[in-house]
Amino acid sequence: MKLRNALAATTAVAALAFSGAAAAETYRIGITQNNVGVDSYQTTYEQAFIESAEADPDVEAVVLDAGGDVARQIAQIQDLVQQQVDAIIIWPTQGKAVVPAVRAAHNAGIPVVITNSNIAEEGFEFIKSFSGPDNITQGSRAAEIMCDKFKEMGIENEAQIVQISGQPGYTTAIERAKGFEDRLPEVCPEVTLLETQPGDWNREKSQRVMETFLTKYDDIDGVYAGDDNMGVGALNAAKAAGREGIIFVGATNFAVGYEAMGRGEYWGSIYQSPVDDAKNALATAKAILTGEEVPFLNYFDTPKITQDNMDEFTKPVF
Amino acid sequence: MAALVGRLGNGDLKGLIARNGIFIAFVVFMIAFGIGVDRFLTFQNLENVVKTTAIIGVIALGVTVVVLSGNLDLSVGSMLSFGTVMVVDLHDKIGPGAGILVMMIAVLALGAVNGLLIGFLRLNSLIVTLGMLSAIQGLTLIYSGGKNVDIDPSTQDTTWFRVFGRGEIAGVDMPIIIFFALAVVIGMIVAYTPYGRRVYAVGGNPTAAVFSGIRRNRVVFSTYLVSAFCVGIASIILGSRVMGSQNTVGQGYELLVLAGVILGGTSLLGGSGSILKTVIGVLILGFIQNGLLLLGYPFFAQWIVTWVVIILAVWLDVAAKRGRLLSPIA
Repeated sequence: MKLRNALAATTAVAALAFSGAAAAETYRIGITQNNVGVDSYQTTYEQAFIESAEADPDVEAVVLDAGGDVARQIAQIQDLVQQQVDAIIIWPTQGKAVVPAVRAAHNAGIPVVITNSNIAEEGFEFIKSFSGPDNITQGSRAAEIMCDKFKEMGIENEAQIVQISGQPGYTTAIERAKGFEDRLPEVCPEVTLLETQPGDWNREKSQRVMETFLTKYDDIDGVYAGDDNMGVGALNAAKAAGREGIIFVGATNFAVGYEAMGRGEYWGSIYQSPVDDAKNALATAKAILTGEEVPFLNYFDTPKITQDNMDEFTKPVF
Repeated sequence: MAALVGRLGNGDLKGLIARNGIFIAFVVFMIAFGIGVDRFLTFQNLENVVKTTAIIGVIALGVTVVVLSGNLDLSVGSMLSFGTVMVVDLHDKIGPGAGILVMMIAVLALGAVNGLLIGFLRLNSLIVTLGMLSAIQGLTLIYSGGKNVDIDPSTQDTTWFRVFGRGEIAGVDMPIIIFFALAVVIGMIVAYTPYGRRVYAVGGNPTAAVFSGIRRNRVVFSTYLVSAFCVGIASIILGSRVMGSQNTVGQGYELLVLAGVILGGTSLLGGSGSILKTVIGVLILGFIQNGLLLLGYPFFAQWIVTWVVIILAVWLDVAAKRGRLLSPIA
């Protein structure tokens, strides 16, 4: 399927090259993604990327997927260099291992944009821009959401919270936790973070961790989860134990989190759209090709969403 | 077995410990954690741990039967993902009853593939089930298109499907009842029926079993159906407990399950072990993780302690059987 896409794109471009004038304005942008199909976010991202590439008459996209395999991704980058595309977008399967391939693309004169999760710092000199969410800001915004709610409830001087973080070792998990832990004492210095344990992005694991927290602590006022999937797992545990009034705040608003907000059981999250993520990546690559100034860290906005303003957002499709 | 233990002297204390080490370890362990960890021995905590262990426990029952017959099943983790995604997805589409039925048939079919390849084609079970681990994960992603599945939130509190993960009978949580009931049934079958004896025979000495008129291929085939059946039951509990599923929900479960089976003392070479010991093994694992979590240890401490305990258990098991701590042959 992917191969056929790539072949079709190559053929189409070859045909355009013969037709002369039209080819001069078409940018061929190749993308190698991390692992499409493994989760809803990446699946939606790919669809959105293909749709916005098709909607743009100036862009011809070569869409590839590494299937989570570093070696395959490196081979795909080399293929794209061979094909002499105008720009390469990479969603790294692994931040360090792709650096040599990125350098090769850079040396071949092809601008590289990293999308969603950044590569290791030693590769920064070989890339034009990083397009993606700012996870540290997401963490600090989550802290603000929680603190504001505690102030509204008048418990900002005594509240106790627990944190369920993402898979250990993942940059996203580390950055969100850091953003949250750094910001919370600034806005709500009296709130105590009792404990942090990983939920591995897994709702069932998170539910198990929360059950133990509920056994261990009689008084929990808030839960910060590294994404809504884990947040809803924690909510399940609290409901089963009959513990009410806990403020749940997550990140990456999932449909389940959005619905739980609608029922008034879940307080807030961070709205991160894979559609925005994909569009931002394509726009960043195109801007570089047309010679526009692009910031090195080209974040797309991930706003706060709570029960109060959720009507301004459409329900996430994943 | 009796002969092996006999070397230590029948009936003396060492022999008793060698045969029942896992039970003694369990009691010692529970007392130690009970004294050392605040709130460990509260009813709520004990119930929680047994409840959350039930999913791994149910799968471990089936895997024990496979291991007793001298094979491995590493495909149970991704089979659990597959079963859970399917039963949750079908819940809103064709109803919980039909959904469970279709899911069970699909999971049993996967078990049958394992059984055919390993029982009738005599392929190596490690390779086949490792392959199936990836293949079934792929199947799950094709089925779901990579999306999470959830039961419609408006029906989550009313559907009868909730009973398996969230219900209770006489104050006892349903997952616990299912786990123990299934353990009794499978335990009885394994210990007291001709079928059970055939499983032990095939695992203990396949050649002798075949010469005794046991159809080895059929027995092996059937163990994978038992394993798949247990995964199906676990999928129902998990789906009902979470009311949703991710494509990777069972990732890594195969190792947790195998750890529980090994900790219980069932030999990976087949022919020796029991369902009861697996139940204890799985519970010890659950309580270790719970105890360390209550103590507030970080996750990596849990990994290290868990696997140190498992390796220690395997070593002591082997040492007890051969009567010395180190290998007699250098």
